[in-house]
Amino acid sequence: MNISINWIKDYVDLPDDITLGELGTRFTLATCEVEGVETTGEHLKAVKIVEITEIEQHPDADRLNLVTFNTGEEQRRVVCGAPNVAVGKKVPFASIGTTLPGGFTLVPKKIRGIASEGMLCAEDELGLGEAHDGLLILDDDAQIGMSLADYLGTESDIVFEIDNKSITHRPDLWGHYGMAREFAAVFGRPLKDVFSKEWREGLKALYTDEEPPVTITVEEDSCCLGFTGISMENVTVKPSPQWMQDRLSTCGMRPINNIVDISNYVMLETGMPNHIYDRDTIKGGEIIVRRMGEDGVFVTLDEQERNMIATDTMVCDKERISGIGGIMGGLDSSIKDSTSRIFLESANWRDSEVRKTSVRLGLRTDASQRYEKSLDTNLLEQSLLRLVELLKESCPEAVVVGPMQKTAMQPTPELKITCSADRIARVLGETVAAERIVEILESLDFKVTVDGDVLIVDVPSYRATKDIEFEADIIEEIGRVIGYDNITPVSPINLAETTRLSDAKQMQRKIQDYMVFHARALEVMTYPMIGKKLLEQASWPIKNEKLTLVNALAPELSRMRPSMVPTLLEKAAQNQKNFNSFRFFEMGRSYESLEGQAYSKDRYQLGVVFFDKTGSPFLDLLNVMKPLMNFLNLKAQFEPANEKYPNPVMPAEWSGVHPHEYLNIKVMGKNCGIVNTVHPIITRQFKIKGNVAVAIFDITDFMDREIKDKTKYTALPKFPSSKFDCTVVADAQTPVSDILRVMNKLKVKEAEGVKILDVFKMSEEQKTVTIRTTFLDREKTLSPEVLREAEDKVVATLKKAGFPLKV
Amino acid sequence: MLQKLEELKKEFRESVEGLTDKNSLAKFKSDYLGKKGKLNDILKGMRSATTDVKKSVGAAANEFKQEIQESLVKQLAKIEIDEINSQLKKSWQDVTLTDDVQVKGLQASGYHPVTLIQREIEDIFISMGFDILDGPHIEDDFHNFEALNIPATHPARDMQDTFWFTDMAHLLRTHTSCIQVRGMEAHEPPFKFVGPGKVFRCEATDASHEMAFHQLEGMMVGKDISVANLIYFMKTLLSEIFRKDVNVRLRPGFFPFVEPGFELDIECLICGGTGCKVCKQSGWVELLPCGMVHPNVLRAGGIDPEQWNGFAFGLGLDRLVMMRYHIDDIRHLHSGDLRFVEQFKAY
Repeated sequence: MNISINWIKDYVDLPDDITLGELGTRFTLATCEVEGVETTGEHLKAVKIVEITEIEQHPDADRLNLVTFNTGEEQRRVVCGAPNVAVGKKVPFASIGTTLPGGFTLVPKKIRGIASEGMLCAEDELGLGEAHDGLLILDDDAQIGMSLADYLGTESDIVFEIDNKSITHRPDLWGHYGMAREFAAVFGRPLKDVFSKEWREGLKALYTDEEPPVTITVEEDSCCLGFTGISMENVTVKPSPQWMQDRLSTCGMRPINNIVDISNYVMLETGMPNHIYDRDTIKGGEIIVRRMGEDGVFVTLDEQERNMIATDTMVCDKERISGIGGIMGGLDSSIKDSTSRIFLESANWRDSEVRKTSVRLGLRTDASQRYEKSLDTNLLEQSLLRLVELLKESCPEAVVVGPMQKTAMQPTPELKITCSADRIARVLGETVAAERIVEILESLDFKVTVDGDVLIVDVPSYRATKDIEFEADIIEEIGRVIGYDNITPVSPINLAETTRLSDAKQMQRKIQDYMVFHARALEVMTYPMIGKKLLEQASWPIKNEKLTLVNALAPELSRMRPSMVPTLLEKAAQNQKNFNSFRFFEMGRSYESLEGQAYSKDRYQLGVVFFDKTGSPFLDLLNVMKPLMNFLNLKAQFEPANEKYPNPVMPAEWSGVHPHEYLNIKVMGKNCGIVNTVHPIITRQFKIKGNVAVAIFDITDFMDREIKDKTKYTALPKFPSSKFDCTVVADAQTPVSDILRVMNKLKVKEAEGVKILDVFKMSEEQKTVTIRTTFLDREKTLSPEVLREAEDKVVATLKKAGFPLKV
Repeated sequence: MLQKLEELKKEFRESVEGLTDKNSLAKFKSDYLGKKGKLNDILKGMRSATTDVKKSVGAAANEFKQEIQESLVKQLAKIEIDEINSQLKKSWQDVTLTDDVQVKGLQASGYHPVTLIQREIEDIFISMGFDILDGPHIEDDFHNFEALNIPATHPARDMQDTFWFTDMAHLLRTHTSCIQVRGMEAHEPPFKFVGPGKVFRCEATDASHEMAFHQLEGMMVGKDISVANLIYFMKTLLSEIFRKDVNVRLRPGFFPFVEPGFELDIECLICGGTGCKVCKQSGWVELLPCGMVHPNVLRAGGIDPEQWNGFAFGLGLDRLVMMRYHIDDIRHLHSGDLRFVEQFKAY
């Protein structure tokens, strides 16, 4: 919103000993954000009136002329393309160095080889209107050499551009008078009481006893919070005076005619929107405010058809609709050049409903954005009187007909807040004297009653609609006016206590560290949303329909992912273009849809992808995942798929499970992860040319527990151990784990450990496996007899299990 | 005799360096020092020599013997080194062909840049005695709005800001402030904690807007916590984050969950407050919202606002990441593109 400082000065004298910049900064720190400070109309002082004396065709351009003119002091020449140039015409001239609206500064330049000494201007170039079909032609009697500012009678102004976001909670700041009150409080200046009781009474004297030509009916269930109206006659539609046009332009509104301009002016002044009807269009002499009742179309002032729904509140007459309550009037009832009888409306509407309708229609107007902020019904009469006052000023012959109509008024409830200087000092951390507190509050129009240490604060109704609610709001008023930068920073008292990362956070960090430094993987982040298409591409059987977003940005982000696997596959497919092999991981989440009380559960998961164009990276991944469990002090098992024990991170029906390269990760007796080479049937669907191994590890169920370090130290053996290697024959596709399992059943108490020393493929059918068994007796040196017996037992056990010694 | 000795010495010195293997070295040794060796051959005449001659020749011979022995040990070492080195030469490898110069090698490894910054900031908070909390992405209306004093009619609840689920009661958290609520539910005051995490807004994405981004929420609740404490705390925190003394200022800002609420500006780090392009000539850059926790929020978290109060603040992590690394497009953060994350490699 733009604030005109000229306008503010109508109500309060601003300090003249500080710069504009400082003025803006202090206002920003105390009230709301001043985004920019601009001076308007400066260029109009530099633009002079000249008379065209000669026109020649540009030698190198058909459409351009060389226009010579008299500035009152000398003859000058510019290159000009305007079609309406004519000798003898008076036009505005901007010389080199002039900065025009839009920040465009004229510099010396040649146009098609001929130097141009400035510019003859059209209306839009001067910021005076929108016309650009030719030069602005001035009256024939305009004085040559006079500045355009003097000719038009415009004043230069200073504009504060206020960030609307910073005043969303302050309905009182959406008009100049409310802003002026802030300037007065912040700079300690008196505010002119322009809407005094006397002023009010003076205007009320204009009411007559005649029967009001228009009566008002407000249906109870509508969203109207109060409706005032009055009729006037004998008005003349004509242009507004220049000062009013200037102020409206400064605030970004286009001057139209005196009636419309006054309507806008009062809104910009009081912050309360209003509406002026051509009274002859009100059928049946009655305004009826009611719900739409049924869906229908309504044409608004801007000639757009609007789709209204049954619950929208409309302003109607006996026959038809004339406006959308709190948003915009209709085309039919608007002011025409011939209008002489008018009806003035000043009404209030419920914030949330105005907002809902305006958002639905995509129609945000100056009125609706004010009503959204919760306006004060108590101000309706004042703004209606102000309309009357300005209309009388503009059309002294105009008269009021009948008294003011007032109905359905829901006054803002009185609000008193109790506070104390001590409490304020404790919350701000800075002592402010009680007298100063009272002074600040009174400058903001609060009434304060001092009762010992207690301050009883009466909140002005226009701040009590939503903005001010309780003590902390009062404290804020004090804080911002004394200036937060005047508060001395003080360290909070720190208790002696220890802190450390939570168990869950530590586990997540350890996993990330491990993946970076041990697994040599890159960490990525991906969207936790997913589309149905990707789930289908990955043949993922769970679709998470319940966790679908109503307003997803795109179909591919329509729901929460039931698993990280499809996303990881998609990312693998994308990255294969740039790398022959890669490893990446995400410490992310997937989302489980639940039935009953709980709606869903975020599952904290590690997802890992190892990709290689040529070989299978499965073992590499497994060799990373296995030690990860030890690193996290977790006891885990890696086991083949088993129908009896379903895995929550891996639906049994998924076709991406590899026939041999698949293992469940089991922690604390529960499946919570997988290591899997993605079946080619799936990678093919992603056009992945290579091998993808993926691991998922879900830590949700145990991450909050303290995981104890269960490492146990065993004293180093005092006696030597003995190693025994033997080589057995096995089927080529028998996993070594089968052999190790046999060895685990070995009943030799001296056997300390069994490991595979070597595997050698003899043929397509057979391989040899060399097994190393370590024997140790912690009490004594092993005797050759004991050793021999133990070794024989090893060989016999293996043979019995179908693994004979290689001969 | 002395002369013969000298001649032998000369011969020895000339030939010893030509020895290149252990066998010839052994033979060479016995040729000179053996019983029937060249030295003894010369010394055979000693018996008939005079005492003087014996004395001088003996000394010279001993000296020569010693020289032979030392030379041979030296030569032996040289032969051994040469032998090992020629072995090593056979197993030569190109030590410049490291992983980082090869196409086929694994890519670099490292943390995501958001993780890097988030950890840095978490560690600062840990050092200041804050707990680090977390919460679900899928939240309910109560934790995201109601408990934060955001009424049902508040614009923030609109569909254009919030991702809603089909039941219209659950949503993707729009801010980490939900972690505040969960933190209050789980802790007895006094306490202080931060909650970093992903948040979601239903808005079109471009180079500087994301629908998923990262915030860090902070809260300190105790007895008589004041605005003066908040200013001090933020100044300390931000000086640590930016690794230099920073100036901050508070100005009024409206957020339903705090009262009074502030926008915290930081004196422009680029120009030091004199005005530049980055701060739009104002000398200040808007950095974060903060304020004194609204009593309704404390109440919703089960805390008596008559007894306790505190402050809260929110920090946008992605912006810090973008600032630190001069990242041109926020959408890279969630792209999963390894060419992007590879640039933040850990080693």
